[in-house]
Amino acid sequence: MITIENLTKFYGKNRAVNDISFTIKDNEILGFLGPNGAGKSTTMNMIAGYLPMSDGKVTINGVDIAAEPVKAKMDIGYLPEIPPVYPDMKVKEYLDFCAGLKSIKGKKKKDEIERVMTLLKVKDVQNKLIRNLSKGYKQRVGFAQALLGNPKFLILDEPTVGLDPNQVVEVRNIIKDLKKEHSVIFSSHILSEVSAVCDRVVIINKGDIRAIDTIENLEKPLRDTRILHVKVAGSKATAAAVIGVTKGVKEITEVVDEGNNITSFTVQLDGDADEIRDTLIAECLKNQVSILEIYADKPDLEKVFVELINRPVKKTSLKDLMDEYITEEKSDDDKAEEEKEED
Amino acid sequence: MFPIYKKELQSFFYTPFAYAITALFMLVFSYTFATAIAGMTSSDTLMFSFTEVFYNVTIYFIFLIPILTMRTFADERKFGTEVLLMTSPVSVLKIVIGKFLANMTVFIFMLAGTLVFPIITAINGEVVISQLICAYIGIFSWGAMFIALGMLISSFVESSILAAIIGELVMFGVLFLDDFSNTSFISNYPKLQSALYSFAAQPRFAYFSQGFVRLSDLVFFGSAIIVFLAWTYISIEKRRWNRG
Repeated sequence: MITIENLTKFYGKNRAVNDISFTIKDNEILGFLGPNGAGKSTTMNMIAGYLPMSDGKVTINGVDIAAEPVKAKMDIGYLPEIPPVYPDMKVKEYLDFCAGLKSIKGKKKKDEIERVMTLLKVKDVQNKLIRNLSKGYKQRVGFAQALLGNPKFLILDEPTVGLDPNQVVEVRNIIKDLKKEHSVIFSSHILSEVSAVCDRVVIINKGDIRAIDTIENLEKPLRDTRILHVKVAGSKATAAAVIGVTKGVKEITEVVDEGNNITSFTVQLDGDADEIRDTLIAECLKNQVSILEIYADKPDLEKVFVELINRPVKKTSLKDLMDEYITEEKSDDDKAEEEKEED
Repeated sequence: MFPIYKKELQSFFYTPFAYAITALFMLVFSYTFATAIAGMTSSDTLMFSFTEVFYNVTIYFIFLIPILTMRTFADERKFGTEVLLMTSPVSVLKIVIGKFLANMTVFIFMLAGTLVFPIITAINGEVVISQLICAYIGIFSWGAMFIALGMLISSFVESSILAAIIGELVMFGVLFLDDFSNTSFISNYPKLQSALYSFAAQPRFAYFSQGFVRLSDLVFFGSAIIVFLAWTYISIEKRRWNRG
């Protein structure tokens, strides 16, 4: 288990990460979501022990990373945003070096290198210089490095950036498989990716945690259960007549003619969609209107994301309010400069 | 520590780097050697001690050492591989020492090449072996200090070229520190003069090349190496704390 307590990071006067706390349970994939510049990479760098924290504590399996860095880092595999590869090394040489850094020796080292190369499908380039590899391959070599020695915790900073759609799917599947033996923290700014892979998500923006929950729970408050989408084949007028008079239907808000005698209706309901849906299907069948598709309104994932990151943060104390005030007072020039530096 | 040492050596010896820098060093060494024997009178030919050659070659050496050390930390930063080293279960101190030992190995490789001159001289004439050994001990400790200094400068910057240029400037300053402290301007301030002179490496190196191994000189070079390596360690840690 990784515990993060009150983690804070200042870059000069600029607060990049603001008092965040969460835990990563065993065998869990935790998504770390936020727009660019939200503090994702900074947080991950601190968890991995690259950047020292300004305040707060990170414990890896009970070991404080600031107090006993070498011991804590034994359990971590880290893939930073830019894959940390040496352009002048061959893939196999590089992995051999990384295995050495993690004190993997002898036959085990050979086996480990073989294992990660097979897993990430970089075996065909093992004798190539890294400088000659494409971005996708470099990314996978960096990922392979993180998996060496089977560390219990994996910290992956945007592992799918720069991969082609095929590879993205492969890497996502690898990450899902890793769940059996590892805990994974996985950052992204693509919500659909996170929702496809992660058990829980932490959403941060401007250094503050906006939400920690499962995707389903996060979607719930934003789901409008009073709207049904119905797609029917056949006469538009008949269908509209049948749907319009069904009990529980308030009004038809939208009618879209999709050609080929197919029409989509968006229906506003009086009550809960789950109950009215069955009545509506029965009515349609009775009147020989064939339904092709019917579903309750789903919130747009991107909308959820935007909603969550823009949610105002509750200020808990006067000190927080004062800090916010001081930060905002800084001139725009300063901010731009700091952002540049952070990049 | 060993994987880092091995990786550094690979990057020196799997590329033409180590061979090119050794060849360049051999070139300047043979030039210095040729000048030394050209200026000899017939009475010197009986015994040849190489002391002057080693002393004179240092002026060329300070242009080569920054080239050797420039990539040590600057390149790690440039390629983003510093993250890999810092997040692996190896302490920063071990990283610094591993890299220092790798640079020293290339340095020894360079020095080993110069052995060919005493050997040939010994075959055709006579070499004062004791003085030769002293000169080698001297240039070894002298070089180790400058390598540590070069690594320190490499840890300050992100560009290896910049590290080399700054390194050359700083080392040039260190090389002529004793001459600087002997200028008439500085001699107006005797305390400053003696303080500067005590930091000068060149007079200490001169003792070695004259055939003296003095404990105080060994301690001087030894402590300078420790100070520069410790400073390198602090500089890397400080950069992490200040980053951004």
